[in-house]
Amino acid sequence: MKLQDTKGYSVITSWLHAKERQPFLFQEQAWEQIIARRSGLVNAPTGCGKTFSVFLGALIDFINLHPSNYRSKTKNGLQLLWITPLRALAKDIGRAMDEVITDLEMSWKIGIRNGDTTTSERQKQKRQMPEILIITPESLQLLLAQKGYEDLFQTLRIVAVDEWHELLGSKRGVQVELALSRIRGIKKENPCSIIGISATIGNLDEAKEVLTGSVDPQAFTVRADIRKQIDIESVFPDEIEKYPWAGHLGLSLVSKVIPIILGSTTTLIFINTRGMSERWYQALLDECPELSGVIALHHGSIEQALRLWVEDSLHTGKLKAVVCTASLDLGVDFRPVETVIQVGSPKGVARFLQRAGRSGHQPDAVSKIYFLPTHSLELVEAAALKAAAIEGVIESRVPMILCFDVLVQYLCTLAVSDGFYPDIIYNEIRNTYCYQEITPDEFQELLSFITSGGTALQQYDEYKKVEIINGLYKITSRRIAMRHRMHIGTIVSDAMLKVKFFSGGYIGVIEEYFISKLNPGDVFTLAGRNLEFVVIKDMTVLVRKSSSKKSIVPSWNGGRMPLSANLGFMLRRKLNDACEMITANTAATDLELKVLSPLFTLQEELSHIPRADELLIEHIETKDGFHLFVYPFEGRLVHEAMAALLAFRISRITPITFSFAMNDYGFELLSDQPIPVDDTNVYDLFSDENLLDDIRRSLNAGEMAKRKFRDISVIGGLIFQGLPGEHKKARHLQSSASLIFKVFSEYEPNNLLLKQAYHEVMEQQMEEVRLRNMLRRIQQGRIAIQFPKRLTPFCFPIKVDSIRENISSEKLEDRVKRMQLQLEKK
Amino acid sequence: MEAPLPHIIHGQTFWLSAERVLYWEEQKALIVSDLHFGKTGHFRKAGIAVPQHIYKQDLQRLFHQVQHFKAVKLIVVGDLFHSKDNKELLLFTRWRKDHPLLEIQLIKGNHDILKNEWYEQSSITTVRNELVIGGFSFIHDPEEAISCSSESQYCFSGHLHPGITIKGLGKQSLRFPCFHFGEKLAVLPAFSLFTGISQIESRPGDNVFAIVENKLLKLQ
Repeated sequence: MKLQDTKGYSVITSWLHAKERQPFLFQEQAWEQIIARRSGLVNAPTGCGKTFSVFLGALIDFINLHPSNYRSKTKNGLQLLWITPLRALAKDIGRAMDEVITDLEMSWKIGIRNGDTTTSERQKQKRQMPEILIITPESLQLLLAQKGYEDLFQTLRIVAVDEWHELLGSKRGVQVELALSRIRGIKKENPCSIIGISATIGNLDEAKEVLTGSVDPQAFTVRADIRKQIDIESVFPDEIEKYPWAGHLGLSLVSKVIPIILGSTTTLIFINTRGMSERWYQALLDECPELSGVIALHHGSIEQALRLWVEDSLHTGKLKAVVCTASLDLGVDFRPVETVIQVGSPKGVARFLQRAGRSGHQPDAVSKIYFLPTHSLELVEAAALKAAAIEGVIESRVPMILCFDVLVQYLCTLAVSDGFYPDIIYNEIRNTYCYQEITPDEFQELLSFITSGGTALQQYDEYKKVEIINGLYKITSRRIAMRHRMHIGTIVSDAMLKVKFFSGGYIGVIEEYFISKLNPGDVFTLAGRNLEFVVIKDMTVLVRKSSSKKSIVPSWNGGRMPLSANLGFMLRRKLNDACEMITANTAATDLELKVLSPLFTLQEELSHIPRADELLIEHIETKDGFHLFVYPFEGRLVHEAMAALLAFRISRITPITFSFAMNDYGFELLSDQPIPVDDTNVYDLFSDENLLDDIRRSLNAGEMAKRKFRDISVIGGLIFQGLPGEHKKARHLQSSASLIFKVFSEYEPNNLLLKQAYHEVMEQQMEEVRLRNMLRRIQQGRIAIQFPKRLTPFCFPIKVDSIRENISSEKLEDRVKRMQLQLEKK
Repeated sequence: MEAPLPHIIHGQTFWLSAERVLYWEEQKALIVSDLHFGKTGHFRKAGIAVPQHIYKQDLQRLFHQVQHFKAVKLIVVGDLFHSKDNKELLLFTRWRKDHPLLEIQLIKGNHDILKNEWYEQSSITTVRNELVIGGFSFIHDPEEAISCSSESQYCFSGHLHPGITIKGLGKQSLRFPCFHFGEKLAVLPAFSLFTGISQIESRPGDNVFAIVENKLLKLQ
């Protein structure tokens, strides 16, 4: 069947013509695949018709099947399932689809299913499914927890997974994989197409494989060949000598931002964390009060209605600027946006380019992005990003494997609805990318974990969760079922509390972690308002307005992405240029490097600027103790692992205790005794021999695994986060993840969820592969050890930006005694 | 296991053990708090698969301590049981039946919600708020101890699951459960290993004993 000859194609193209538009080549290619009922991946950036490449294809397919009555045909059951990572996107997408359906005079209904969908709406959908259902991964899991869910999918023809690159590499992506495996299982006789939509990432083929599962060798890839021109410009401080060497905020450059905002229709200002975005919003208003009313704040903790208002105002061009976080990375385009400002490191090339792409939507318009450094050295990143953009060095998203926590949750989900037969489910999940390596033993262990709760004391156990009834695994207790349903949405970890005014009125949500550190009377900032903390009641933080000038800005735990390997590589290259600029007096091509030359000169004077094949190490002694600074430029996580590894290896030379700190450029070991690293042993200390063993033995793995276990224990159903209204009923069931971790480590060390925590530490935290590559690179290059007399421009940000960890080879008891002695000396 | 440390209050000798118990020599009484027996069972009944062995170990530790000190009396400063009745508690009652001569006195804590008959059947004498023996009183929640005990009394309490953070140079820090003896009030560590820790604030003159692995370490 040739696409162009079909009735559907002619209906859709004539609709497009009426709007004076034409289908893009990649859209037609996608439609061809859709009517041939194949699965695959559409690779297209935001804002160039990616939604239509799948949605219009679905319409063509339907019209072709019902050429005479496609307009009047109602109650067709679910035809198109549209999975989207952000619930904020659902409305916009639904609106765009609805316009087309109305224009075509079709009778399709569009439903939205996410955490905000009301119960009555859900009931209505249960009675009669709309033809299109727009859903988040969590809500799709909830759909599988509904009795008789299999029937809903019988009519389904296409599953679209929007922004697949965002989901890939996360546990929500794994939820999608599992749901898709179930849908494939249900529809064995009558398969549907599964189509992912993804921006460009380094591993598109792998992304496709994860989506379609190992079952489909015929899967297609369609690429939109749309290259947008990007113009990158740095915002420079007037005097680089006076610009801080360390920091996160860059607020002293606020005055430079005002003319940029005033000079463009609309500007998006991307800030890395929510806390900092609050500060920036305030600072902009203080600097330029006229902006009041035309600038807004947008981040994940802000009340949804307000966020929607901001998005609407962006569409209509009512706002001059929006200060935002990753919350605006995704989604439909805001045409009025002309300029983007990135404050601080974007941590990766892909993210930077995606943000740049949020500006300049007219055909042939140039995307304009400014890079604003939060400390001097960060300017090198701008130079690195420019080079990366030209060379097209884009990061990969590594898919997750063997997430037992998500699988435990999924099995319980199926047990809540209609129950499941293990053999069937085992075969289904074996075809997913995540669980292709799962062994029968591991699966059996998970089954026994949910049916009998691991090993128990004989005859005194009343463990109850999943029961086996004639081979069917089912949850019969209504209370357990209810609690499970409420927990499906909690894959996005950290307990969040609602923030409300005492007098009523919802402001937003905030991490429990932050609130727990506040005392009543403290003033903090949320959604651009100063609020006085009064009391926590029923999972709600009650606050009063405050006129206090001083306030604490919440530091959110999340959103601390490490520098990507690609950006690290480009950075080392740029430092090489800088080194040549200073030592050989060659002219640098990058303005950023030229501006930074006073800083580089000082660095070279005190210590050294590493070349691309060099590793710089600095020994510095201060009143805090003996510091060792190391600069691999491999991102915070690899540095954390490397610091632990190095500390462990040094501690085998002599009993010594360290604390360490790191940032994206390097790490620091700090001790109260001299650190024995010199030319004689340094290559051994950075060797990749026995890497795995040494990592496992570096004491830190336990601490890191404990942190990973937080999420795992919540997803795996071991922790009840007191949910609104529910926590009172869950009396005497509170416990902390660290306590459960301790208990499992001691009494059930082979538990799969515990093992997963260690596995995640190796794969994600330590980034073992990247760590090994780094060590090999260091071995092949030169290690330069320096003894600067005082702190250098390179080490300064690390010393200030400290996330500290401990490692020790001393006996715990000796350590405590010595720490105590130190205290007494003071 | 290290030998217990003696601690003298009002002329009476209390032996501190790293097994999180206190032995009152003159009264031949073992003093414990926050045992939370049945907690694992309560969790498991609700579908949370915590390992049960931690409970078994808690029981054995208690039995062993009673035997070791040859105590004739067990004073529980609250939270003997974690929640409602469950089968796990049978392990405790079986042991209780085998040791009928041991006197058990429970000062009820916020977790002790079993029916009165249950305590009667297990021969546990219960006190609602405060138990007084000589110049000493026992109250579960230290908040209440401040308001209701008289001037000359020395009070033992629990409830908080006290712990202390030890800090050193290079920004190191470690946390341990502890015994905390104030001027008029002592807070005992939680006996159960299936409990968390809450940070205490100690004042100059207080005595704090951290439980570091199997040893007691006097910090103040």
